[in-house]
Amino acid sequence: MIRIVTLGELPSEVLDHVARRVHAAYGMGCEIAGSAELPEKEAWNKDEDAYDAVKVLAEVDDDTELYADDKLLYVTTEPLTGPPGPMGRGPVDGFAQQGGGRAVITSAELGGKGELTVEAGVAKRAAHHIGHLWDLHHCFDPRCAMHPGWTPGFLQYPEVALCLFCREKSERKIKLGQG
Amino acid sequence: MAKAPAETLIGDGSFRIGDRVVYPKQGICRIVGVEVQEVGGYKLEFVTLTREEDNARVMVPRTKVMSVGLRKVANVDLIDDMFDYLTSPSDTPQLDWKVRHRENDDKMSGGGLFGTAEVLKGLHALTRVRPLPQKERELYDNARHLLVNEIAAACNVPLHVAENNLDYALFPPPGMKRKGRELKLAVVPATGSLKSMREDDDLGFDDELDEEAAAGPGAKGQEGEGDEPGEEAEAAPAKPAKTKLRAVPEPDEDFGDDGADDDEVAPKAVPKAKADKAAPKAEKAAAREEKHAAKAEKAPAKATAKEEKRSAAKPAAKAVTKAEKPTAKPAAKPAVKPAAKPAAKPAAKPAAKAKPAAKPVKGKK
Repeated sequence: MIRIVTLGELPSEVLDHVARRVHAAYGMGCEIAGSAELPEKEAWNKDEDAYDAVKVLAEVDDDTELYADDKLLYVTTEPLTGPPGPMGRGPVDGFAQQGGGRAVITSAELGGKGELTVEAGVAKRAAHHIGHLWDLHHCFDPRCAMHPGWTPGFLQYPEVALCLFCREKSERKIKLGQG
Repeated sequence: MAKAPAETLIGDGSFRIGDRVVYPKQGICRIVGVEVQEVGGYKLEFVTLTREEDNARVMVPRTKVMSVGLRKVANVDLIDDMFDYLTSPSDTPQLDWKVRHRENDDKMSGGGLFGTAEVLKGLHALTRVRPLPQKERELYDNARHLLVNEIAAACNVPLHVAENNLDYALFPPPGMKRKGRELKLAVVPATGSLKSMREDDDLGFDDELDEEAAAGPGAKGQEGEGDEPGEEAEAAPAKPAKTKLRAVPEPDEDFGDDGADDDEVAPKAVPKAKADKAAPKAEKAAAREEKHAAKAEKAPAKATAKEEKRSAAKPAAKAVTKAEKPTAKPAAKPAVKPAAKPAAKPAAKPAAKAKPAAKPVKGKK
């Protein structure tokens, strides 16, 4: 089961759309499990003027229970950032514990000019980061939801779909998880 | 079974128990100990490693620790150099699948950081030209997996951050800089339609599979440099003829399912065809004759006295007609004939021509 928890207020139609799309992409049940508070003190990065996604996951106060292969997705409207890596800081639309159980995404910067609509964008980001929870890597195919979120290809294909390779890999992982 | 003390030096003396190491194709492991086990009546020493991502146990004979390519996890400087390499302008991708396959396999078996990065970058560059076949798609994913794990281990960042950084280099976002130099924006790789993806067509490979099926088992996995975009463009206008040409065993690029095995199957397929003789040869002969007939048909359109002489001199026209008529008339006849009697006569001639096709395969073995 994939559980969606909101960190802040998001329109219910957006959440419904996300749940439907994620369910269609992974063939798993998806439910909206409630809401929680953003850990403002612990996760706010004033240099970047955004929340540190890694710290958000570490510090969020949420009592949603997870069973076996459940995945938990937090959705926020606040901008996110991440720790710098060898390439410095780049655009961050979410963070997932690769092969783990929890991920957080943001709807920030969506709905603007040249961007995906909020519904489509959040759904695609959700599918992308849930894919990371199944240990999927980024995909070079721009039609695939696992294509990096900052590329023009991600914007060009608003539909939430996985390429055959990613779909098969996710199905294998889901089966292993269920086993 | 006995465990060696923690001070035990392993390999060339650079490894100790508890070290994090990289095992080629397996990823990051930790040396757990040295065990003595009896194998076939001999007592052998094994270095035991556990793979970090899933705690799988890997045992390497102590004497082979260096030769298998075990190495320490790269340091930050080396990772930095690797990112320099990844962000450098791409070379033209290797289009000959055999060369590419051999090179990539060597690099992955070597287990080096830069070898893995080269595989990833090479395949990434190839994705701009065409979608990857299944085997190489897996290789691309494996190379990515190994690099992400090593970057995360070396730089002490979460896996997701490591992967994002890897892709900041491969798909640079707007404004991304590397050592003061602005990187070129990522381009959208060419793909088929989204509809075809939904219909499970594996990124537009279905037509290749169809052609493969049409070509039969002998032709599977031997297209050679057929994947070169230039060649494809040349072949495009003559699409109906392409399937016919595929019937003749040629080195093929599409090793979709099991590319490595195909090489081993190919040499067997040629002698078999020789043994069977009748049906495959007749088909090949018919295909060749049709090809020659098509060539000969073009001739009358430009029929001049000089061309008559030229076409008479052409060995291809001779093979088709066997007659002394070099002009328009002989061209028309064979165009009809092969359809009528494909089996008997032509079967003998293409047998002689089949040899050159077989030679490279033999030579390779």
